[in-house]
Amino acid sequence: MRRPQAVAVIVALAAALALPRMAPAYHVTLMLPFMAYGIALLGLNLLFGYTGLVSFGHALFLGIGAYTGAFLTTHTRVRSIEIILLVAALGAAAVAAPVGALCVRYVKIYFGMLTLAFGMLFYTFVLKFYHLTGGDEGMRFLRPSLLGQPLGDLSKTAYLVGPYYYYSLALLVLATVAMWRIVHSPFGLCLRTVRDNPLKAESLGLSVPRYRWYAFVISAVYAGAGGVLLAVPTGNVDPTLAYWTHSGNLVFMTLLGGFASFFGPIAGALVFIYLQDTVMSLFLYWRLVFGAILAALVLFAPTGLAGLVVRRQPPEAAHR
Amino acid sequence: MIIEARDVKHFYGDFCALDGVTLGVEAGQLVSIIGPNGAGKSTLINVLTGLLQPSAGSVRFKGRDIAGAGPVRLARLGLARSFQLVQIFPDLTVLETLQAAAVSRLGRGRRLLASLAADGEVRRDAEHVADLFGLGEKLHAPSRTLPQGDKKLLDVAAAFALRPAAILLDEPTSGVSTRDKTTVMQMLVRASRGIGVQAILLVEHDMDIVFGYSDRIVALQQGRILVDTTPDGLRTDETVLATLVGRATATASAAPGP
Amino acid sequence: MTAHVVNVLMGGLFHAAILFLVAAGLQVVFGVQRIFNLACGSFYAFGAYVGVAAVQAFIQVGGPPGLFILPLVAAGLLAGLAGILVERGLLRFIYDRDETFQLLLTFAVVLMIEDLIQMTWGAAPTSTSGLYLVYGQVRLLGATVPAYNLIVIGASLVIAVGIGWLLARTAFGRIVRAAAENREMAEALGVDMRAVYVRVFTLGCMLGTLGGALVIPSTAAMSEMGVELIVEAFAVVVIGGLGSMRGALAGALVVGVLRAIAIAVYPALEMLLIYLIVIAVLVLRPRGLFGKAVVA
Repeated sequence: MRRPQAVAVIVALAAALALPRMAPAYHVTLMLPFMAYGIALLGLNLLFGYTGLVSFGHALFLGIGAYTGAFLTTHTRVRSIEIILLVAALGAAAVAAPVGALCVRYVKIYFGMLTLAFGMLFYTFVLKFYHLTGGDEGMRFLRPSLLGQPLGDLSKTAYLVGPYYYYSLALLVLATVAMWRIVHSPFGLCLRTVRDNPLKAESLGLSVPRYRWYAFVISAVYAGAGGVLLAVPTGNVDPTLAYWTHSGNLVFMTLLGGFASFFGPIAGALVFIYLQDTVMSLFLYWRLVFGAILAALVLFAPTGLAGLVVRRQPPEAAHR
Repeated sequence: MIIEARDVKHFYGDFCALDGVTLGVEAGQLVSIIGPNGAGKSTLINVLTGLLQPSAGSVRFKGRDIAGAGPVRLARLGLARSFQLVQIFPDLTVLETLQAAAVSRLGRGRRLLASLAADGEVRRDAEHVADLFGLGEKLHAPSRTLPQGDKKLLDVAAAFALRPAAILLDEPTSGVSTRDKTTVMQMLVRASRGIGVQAILLVEHDMDIVFGYSDRIVALQQGRILVDTTPDGLRTDETVLATLVGRATATASAAPGP
Repeated sequence: MTAHVVNVLMGGLFHAAILFLVAAGLQVVFGVQRIFNLACGSFYAFGAYVGVAAVQAFIQVGGPPGLFILPLVAAGLLAGLAGILVERGLLRFIYDRDETFQLLLTFAVVLMIEDLIQMTWGAAPTSTSGLYLVYGQVRLLGATVPAYNLIVIGASLVIAVGIGWLLARTAFGRIVRAAAENREMAEALGVDMRAVYVRVFTLGCMLGTLGGALVIPSTAAMSEMGVELIVEAFAVVVIGGLGSMRGALAGALVVGVLRAIAIAVYPALEMLLIYLIVIAVLVLRPRGLFGKAVVA
């Protein structure tokens, strides 16, 4: 890692650790969805930035994670977040394996369409089979225990801005370290060859569909974990988690932060969450503002904020 | 025989692109394939490199049937290729490109949590190949910033980095200035010896290169082999020369050029 | 029993007629510009709201209810002209970019139009209540079907034929087809692609807004109608084949009728069935019914 990057990360981490002590509860709780999205986007960008595939259905895995947690806490006696995360990860992988096997045989727009279809399939399933899932009212997601501590005596806010905040942060750090290693591994290099030139990659003996599949499954696991973390603060899960516009927002956040950079998507999630909060409090019509921001990004800054900070030539993916 | 095609036929619909081609490459040989455009060279190459399943006939590599095997399987078996239209990884550096080839060769492509930078064997391998092709000073340059000639070399170098038993080079000197062609060819021959490539199949238009470096020349025309002989044998065959090269001599009738 | 079947089928055909219009708009834009316009659903919603406003204004100034379809259609068509703004203002800058970015730009348009509609008309649904049955009802094989449905189905068929004629017999149609086949060639032959693109995109939007306007009497204009319709329209063009007009017709029939049947038989199945078919099509025959072969 380059020196300025390392410094920035350390500063950010220090700020994140100090935040609950310095900022009002409202801002601290705002960090919670950011951290959840941060994990999900680390996964999504493995697929997007490093393997070159844009999924318009990744909210599917957010939904799987969230609904897994809701189901476990309300229908079984499981309360441990560790178990929930594990089951959610396995569930996401189990769904991603066949779905990914299907989708990675196609590229670009067909891949996007297939993933969108699967995302909406899940949405519709969850919406219609309300006996199982509570339909459009959703399901409760009861407070999970952290590291075996039920923490039932804490008020909701105290739980969220205290132990849960630090737990999420630790998970985000863990997820980031793991993804860093993945991206800088021989495997990560192979993903980038598949992204840059599938024909050449194959001539070097690298199976393009196989690598795309690996990236897809890994990204799904990350999104599943993110989905669990996303649902805990609200204590409720509903079908809109898997709606296609939610998937679109995930891609938006990735683009905003910069898909060509490792920390870009995390930065994108942070900016998106805070911007959304700020805009929503000032102006009811935040989608108009965000639509304009997305348009501006696509037109003028396709490499996102990270691309503006580190002035590099945009990668081939930004141009035909 | 390392590469062997026997009576290979291929049709695109009704059009016959290859009409019973038989050729073989022995260990230690450099065989050139020449012929005018439309003669079936590209089809033959795609059949030989497993991208195309021939309509009829057999293709063998080290004795194994490889018809339609696909580039991935062939690369793993030890047959590599470079491309006529240069193929590189635009956002990868020279080093990373060659590392990728080494990673693939060593079967380390699934090492998810290992550090690429710490893999000394892969790195030394990549640097060695880079030096063989004169790219040693440009290891950290992103491939898309390289001049066209270096991109061509990188395409070829990556194929060599697989340490294949046989390699197919598709017009490796096209787009290279005449002055540099010899340098490139010498680099290729030297690299082959250094890496232990046993057989080279060369597709070339430049006759000086073809005559200068081949052990055998195979001339293709309209899907058929016109002649399969040594450079000396070809030099003395006037009619064939006239057909292929359009060189009219005192004894040959005025044949239309390709 | 027959009456019930007829009712279901007629409902399905009505929905198919609307879907065809929106899908045709998608197809013509994809065919020529290779852009999948996610915002087609938003234009549909825009057309619906403009249609309601036009009809309400018409009634208020004393227009005879029986003629409400005139301002409705006019509003539907005129609303499509907003497409010119989108094309000239945004889309034309990204024709040379990766498909992903084009898709994201149309997604940006979806977001913007969604809020623009809310800003103008608020979040509550609006409708042209009571006008649905102005043209009375028709007895068909024992079932009672609103005549309006038949009018719309008929209009869609006329438009389908009209588009076919436009593409096959007019100079503009020839240029559109040529540009769809081979953009560079068309340009080399002197076709002003910029002009073609604006016209094609606007045509696509007008078809969408018209569809939205025409659906209004039978349902209310609601804020989610845009984002919801895009998935159906997307199913239509995948089943029918991207870029094909016949595909839009065939796909619309499949989706419209199947959905109506599903709702009647097992409501939970509704869109689920459609998505399964979409996935099956993308896997078994990616080019759909009438599309061109797809390179994976």
